[in-house]
Amino acid sequence: MRLVLVGFGNLGRGLSRALIQKASFLRRSHGLIPRVVAAVDEFGAAVDEKGLNLTRLLRVAGKAGTVAAYKGGKRGKFALQVIEGVEADVVYELTPTNIKTGEPGLTHIKRAMRAGKHVITSNKGPLVVAFRELDSLARRCGVEFRYSASVGGAVPLVGLAKELLAGNEIREIRGVLNGTTNYILTRMSREGAPFEVVLREAQELGLAEKDPTLDIEGIDTASKITILANSLLGMNARLKDVKVAGITRVRPEAIRLAQEAGQTIKLIGIAKRGSLEVGPKLVPLGHPLAVGGTLNAVTFELDLAREISITGFGAGPRETSSSLLGDLIDIHRTLGG
Amino acid sequence: MLVKIVMELEDVPGQLLKALEPISRLGGNIQSIMHQRERKTPLGRIPVMLVFEVGDRARLNRILAALRARGVRITQLGEREGAARTTALLIGPHTDIRDTIDRLDALRGVRVSDLSLAMGGLGQESAARMTITTDDEKRASLAVSNLQRIAARKKLLLITSLEAG
Repeated sequence: MRLVLVGFGNLGRGLSRALIQKASFLRRSHGLIPRVVAAVDEFGAAVDEKGLNLTRLLRVAGKAGTVAAYKGGKRGKFALQVIEGVEADVVYELTPTNIKTGEPGLTHIKRAMRAGKHVITSNKGPLVVAFRELDSLARRCGVEFRYSASVGGAVPLVGLAKELLAGNEIREIRGVLNGTTNYILTRMSREGAPFEVVLREAQELGLAEKDPTLDIEGIDTASKITILANSLLGMNARLKDVKVAGITRVRPEAIRLAQEAGQTIKLIGIAKRGSLEVGPKLVPLGHPLAVGGTLNAVTFELDLAREISITGFGAGPRETSSSLLGDLIDIHRTLGG
Repeated sequence: MLVKIVMELEDVPGQLLKALEPISRLGGNIQSIMHQRERKTPLGRIPVMLVFEVGDRARLNRILAALRARGVRITQLGEREGAARTTALLIGPHTDIRDTIDRLDALRGVRVSDLSLAMGGLGQESAARMTITTDDEKRASLAVSNLQRIAARKKLLLITSLEAG
């Protein structure tokens, strides 16, 4: 399968490493031979229809800060030209998220679909802004569209709900969907350290962005709840439909009070038809959603199976490549490979 | 729901165990047992007051039927106040916490049964933990939605229990 990588940041690199490491496994176990025929970032592009050498691509891009440094690479804005012009089967859209406009990912995905290419993305922006549009565009264009990596990182929420639990009606989805805030709340609860101190530490560890607003105000979780509501509950929800409260007012003293009552505080996103909500909640200690550190955890409330909970790593390039690769194998199988 | 019953047992060994077994087997959570030996009946039976928690009315009926089937005579049966409990945290300036409590207590079948405060440092917000005891689940959700309105008006951050929805 010929792949185009649009975006070569942490996730693009993580995926490339996984493709190198798992090349023989993919061929042996899935009869899949992926070939990255182009990689694009905001500074340039590298194209080779015979397939880029990923080890070399990682090395030169690591050094020069752009894939354009690859032999024969070009500097400039080439994303759309590559998406439309290079012969390929699947476009990986892995550019940074913009939850307001969805761009540049939104245009990348639309153009890829119209050019008859299957799309796999980790980018929340386009999904939050235009889920229905993209979903129906994919169908009209006769292409596959996968976005497992956009919610829950390595945790296979979409696949679990859509495939394995397909016989159920999903009544409610609730969960811890943001590793950064969960790390902060966990540290505050274990050490009683003040919010600002733990946040600064998380930033130094690279767990929180320089501008942590989207995480700590609950907006990242709200984006994920929007995506889950649209993709799994069949809703047509927008980010503004989610009632959001963040964790900036949660102090260690509040967590201590919760602990005295056998509870802890978690930032929980809740999606059910007619009500989307994100906010800090009291969760009993030992509850499936009372996970520590940067973990994510989600509970599906279902008519037949009652409750299914799943936990795992919600971020990280290596962990997320599990979902990105899973989507590729899924498309390969869907197409009869 | 919390249930109080008074039953009369024969004054021979093993009677109490016979009465307690179906309660715990059918999902009742026994909270207190009190023998009232001084009130022995003319027939020589001993009244025993029992308080237990049970999930719902159907379960209670099954327990009562099981007791009667064993020949246990039930002389009093009543639902105790405090059937449902929910915990909530409020974060913000708690200068008028009394008012918040009064507003909740004013609702029928709703009572703030426990309060803990953790004062924040200078210029910081404080946290309050409230246990709200209500006659039933319906009143519990009514109390929570009232608390949501109060918190919104006073600009407090309300953290409710995950189960409270």
